[in-house]
Amino acid sequence: MEPALCDGDWVIVAPLARPPRVGEIVLARDPRVPGRLVLKRVARVKGGVCTLLGDRPEESTDSRTFGPVALSAVLGRAVFRYAPLLRAGLL
Amino acid sequence: MFLTDLLKPKTIAYAHCDLPCGVYDPEQARIEAESCYKIIEKYNASSDDQFKTRAIVIKEERAELAKHHIDVLWSDYFKPEHVQKYPEITELCWKAAKQCSKVKGSLDIGEAKTLLDMIDKIADVWTKAGGPTATRMPKAAAARA
Repeated sequence: MEPALCDGDWVIVAPLARPPRVGEIVLARDPRVPGRLVLKRVARVKGGVCTLLGDRPEESTDSRTFGPVALSAVLGRAVFRYAPLLRAGLL
Repeated sequence: MFLTDLLKPKTIAYAHCDLPCGVYDPEQARIEAESCYKIIEKYNASSDDQFKTRAIVIKEERAELAKHHIDVLWSDYFKPEHVQKYPEITELCWKAAKQCSKVKGSLDIGEAKTLLDMIDKIADVWTKAGGPTATRMPKAAAARA
C-alpha cells in the first residue's frame, strides 16, 4: 500500500456505519486466513461485496488473488496515521 | 510504562503482499536443477527398471520445484527498477521457466545442464541487483569458516 501506508505505520481505524466507498482505505478480514487483517483500497462496491486493491498493483496481493470481500468482513476505515509523527495526518 | 506503550497499536493489519519473508535466492532453484541433473545421470547408469521409474517421477517433481522458485524470483523479488536496469532478466526468467518444463519431460542431460547455466545467469543479475545483502541473512563467522 505504499506510498499511502508504510510498514510499521500506526493508524486509527474508525468503525464503518455505512458501506465503504470507492477510494477509501479499509480494514478487512483476509478471506484466506482467519484472524488475519488487511488494509487495502476499495476499488468497487456492488451487491454486498467489494473489490479491494493495493496501491501498487505489481506487488500487491489483493482481490485479484483473494477475490471480492464481503461487506460484512470490512471492519472499518483507516482515517488517521498518528505515527511516525513526521508523516502523521489524515488518510 | 512509557507513553509510546500506551499509544502503540494493539492490532496488526497487513497492507502489503503475501506475508513476505523477503528471502530470495536463485540457489534454491539451482539445487532443484542440480537434483534433476544428478537424477538423469543416475537414471542413465542404472539398469533397474523400478529405480528408473522412481528417478523419472522424482526428476519431474524437482523440475517443477525449480520452475516454482524461478517464478517466485521473477514475480516477487525482481522489481520494476531492476528490470529497468537489467532488462535481460525478463527473458532470462521466462526462458529458464520454459527450460524447467523441458527438463521435466526429457532425460537428456544436456537439457539439465542448459537449465543450470540459465539459473546461473539469473543469479548473476540477482547478485548485481544487490540480492545477497538485500535478501539473505549473514551467516555467523564461525559457520562460514
